[in-house]
Amino acid sequence: MNTERLEIARLYHRFDFGPRPGEFASAIKIGATATRDKLFRNSQPDLGLMNIPEILITDLGQRPSPLDPSLATFTSELRRQNTELTTWWLDRMVLADFSLQEKATWFWHGHWATSIKKLNFALPMYKQHQTLQKYALGNFNEMVSAMLDDGALQFWLDGQENTAKSPNENLARELMELFTLGVGRYSEIDVKELSRALTGIQVTRSSGDITFKKNRFDNGTKNILGASQNFDRKSAGKLLVSQPSSKLFITERVWFRYISSQFPAPDSSNLESAFEGREIRELLFALASSDVMKDSRYELVKSPVEWFVAVCRALSITPSKLVKNSVLLNYLQKLAQVPFDPPNVGGWPTDDAWLSTASAQFRASFATWLVAQGDISPIENLTPGERVQKTADLLGVVEWSARTKSALEGNIKSSKRLILLAICSPEYLVSA
Amino acid sequence: MDTVTRRKFLQLAVGTSIGTAAAFLSIEEIAAAASARPLLSGTPILVVVTLYGGNDGLNTVIPFKDPIYYSSRPDISYKQESILQLDSQYGLNPSMTGIANLWKGGKVAIVRGAGYPSPDRSHFSSMAKWQSGSPTSHSTSGWIGRWIDSQPDDPMLAISLGSVLPPLLAGDKKVGSALPLGGLVIPEGTIGADFRKLSLPSSSDSKLRSLAANSMKDLFNISETITPILKRPETKEIELPTINGGNAGGDSNLTQQLNIVSKLIQADAPTRVWSVSLGGFDTHANEANAQSILLGSVSSAIDKFMSDLKTSKHGADVVVLVYSEFGRRVVGNASKGTDHGTSGPMFIIGDKIKGGFYGDQPSLSKLVDGDLSVTTDFRDVYASVIEDVLKSPADRYLNNWKGRTKFYKAG
Repeated sequence: MNTERLEIARLYHRFDFGPRPGEFASAIKIGATATRDKLFRNSQPDLGLMNIPEILITDLGQRPSPLDPSLATFTSELRRQNTELTTWWLDRMVLADFSLQEKATWFWHGHWATSIKKLNFALPMYKQHQTLQKYALGNFNEMVSAMLDDGALQFWLDGQENTAKSPNENLARELMELFTLGVGRYSEIDVKELSRALTGIQVTRSSGDITFKKNRFDNGTKNILGASQNFDRKSAGKLLVSQPSSKLFITERVWFRYISSQFPAPDSSNLESAFEGREIRELLFALASSDVMKDSRYELVKSPVEWFVAVCRALSITPSKLVKNSVLLNYLQKLAQVPFDPPNVGGWPTDDAWLSTASAQFRASFATWLVAQGDISPIENLTPGERVQKTADLLGVVEWSARTKSALEGNIKSSKRLILLAICSPEYLVSA
Repeated sequence: MDTVTRRKFLQLAVGTSIGTAAAFLSIEEIAAAASARPLLSGTPILVVVTLYGGNDGLNTVIPFKDPIYYSSRPDISYKQESILQLDSQYGLNPSMTGIANLWKGGKVAIVRGAGYPSPDRSHFSSMAKWQSGSPTSHSTSGWIGRWIDSQPDDPMLAISLGSVLPPLLAGDKKVGSALPLGGLVIPEGTIGADFRKLSLPSSSDSKLRSLAANSMKDLFNISETITPILKRPETKEIELPTINGGNAGGDSNLTQQLNIVSKLIQADAPTRVWSVSLGGFDTHANEANAQSILLGSVSSAIDKFMSDLKTSKHGADVVVLVYSEFGRRVVGNASKGTDHGTSGPMFIIGDKIKGGFYGDQPSLSKLVDGDLSVTTDFRDVYASVIEDVLKSPADRYLNNWKGRTKFYKAG
């Protein structure tokens, strides 16, 4: 396997959402190092994102009672906001010029996995997205602090039910287990004590606004991870992030989603030291620069959203302009991955989970629907003899297997069909 | 295929209206494929029902004679008169009339206090322990998955309803199949032939790439066998609560899932293990009503499933296993809910099951850190299921686990 090609394909499919027409071939010319530098150079403002119209997400207030005649208007507006919010984010993933940040935002959404299903309002999810976007490549300590003030997360994990009188442990447990430290790196007593420190929050569900109620806050001394003081959510969050295990844990999570869910990192000490200051961009850069990028073992299956966004980028499709949005969302639902709606607080599964017979079916029909609406001219404009190899370049595929090559070569006269098969091939589904 | 069998197949395939059979052009071929290796009557079939979110065991099998039950959770306990009594001390949640009837028929084994050592209160770790069947050492394969590894290749062997395969059915070498609720549609004609080409093995395939190719190959195999069977009216699902307790996974339409399983069993699908699920049991707040609706749905779906199969030749072969990743705290919280706890009841249901209680009820006066103790290791149940239902040596799949729970009738 050509390691330069492998490294560049990984930069595009792991740290970015996939190449746009011409990008992969140009990257091969300038080499992996220059491609990485380009990817990590933040070219603000992002013109691709600036062209996306703002969306109107408003506070709909309390849900009217079942007998209230305004309920119908309320529900249809709620549905509009939910759909628009989702397609708006998909547009951002596809149209961003600086995808490193969009990809990282997607990673963090899976990390702090909060579902619109429980919130049942778009506005709090929109606000959470802005927070994740803001800190996606920033400082993890600041991110944790901002997320503990996030109404959607608080509501999702019953933070509003957690009071001095009767602690609810849901948020405290997941904060340590899934968001900052990792399972087994704290005790049951730490969970109880941390939940006391997180008390006092009330959430307005429709807006995601939080208020701190002093009388609901547990004002006593808490003993968390060996430290003893009158912790509140700010100081407790800081304590968690300062633990060496938080450095290890975030390194592990980034490895798991960016590099390999099958194999642990052979040696994470370099990555951990890159994350010493809890700067996310530095951790990602260290990862993208390390030798693991050249190791062919570390394959990763594209999740349905990642696959869809990569196809859109290659075929110049704008998700919100697909005909029609409801069909798009239905496909994503069938493939079991819709942004803002992770299956549970652990986020989406990886690898094998996306390779079921059911997904194979839906992917094939989804792909057919997409190719029909995409721009296939980058392949159509070539002579049939060039098309198979150039499709690999268009899509950022390292190399075709003999099997796929043979299936593709039977279709060099129809670019549409060639691309359809290529985006459903094992070599594309699995990022080398 | 003789005429009687063929007619029966068509009836199953298209429900009451035999006229619509014409819509399935390749019905003869498909029927032939299904009957090529029909499951023989007498072969046990396992149906695993996973309740995601942590089902509150104390409000499922209720110790209504224990005053501590009432004093621990005044807001969310059930009065004795509303409970479906099983014996002089225990009763089922009032919504579980279906399972209560099956209990009266002697077909329900309830394993009390089921769990594993050093309970983990995280949904994900705990569910990983239950599904891997390896609670004390990390394992990436599922307990059924390891059994699949040992069986001859067959995409029909173990099937999960829904689009995402649960870890339960993932082996080290092979995985079970997933079946979406809406049935399967495959690319046809020449493009279908091209997709088949893409699904062939390639010597350069890594593990993941070969799984990707296989998923397409299995899609074609399964689709040919069962698509026509699924083209029947869907059962209408009652609305389930999603506002609370919605953050721990699982599907939402158990009745529909079991309805499809029942049709496929009746059509002699050569499937030995089915996996279905229901989510929503993470009842941190306003638990009583939500859990009751969910349990009612579990109970009526299983009852309907068992009665649908009663007249089938496989009716007596089906064993349903119900579990959740943990029970909940004994003491209710201030939100009229309960937080993550430890042990809970498992249900094993079927004609071949010796009904009754197994395992001791964890004592409410002797809690461990405020939680119920674990009185039966779930591996006891798994080992017996592997031996008695899957007819395989359990030691191989459960790391030489020795415990057993004898709920299966001999023979």
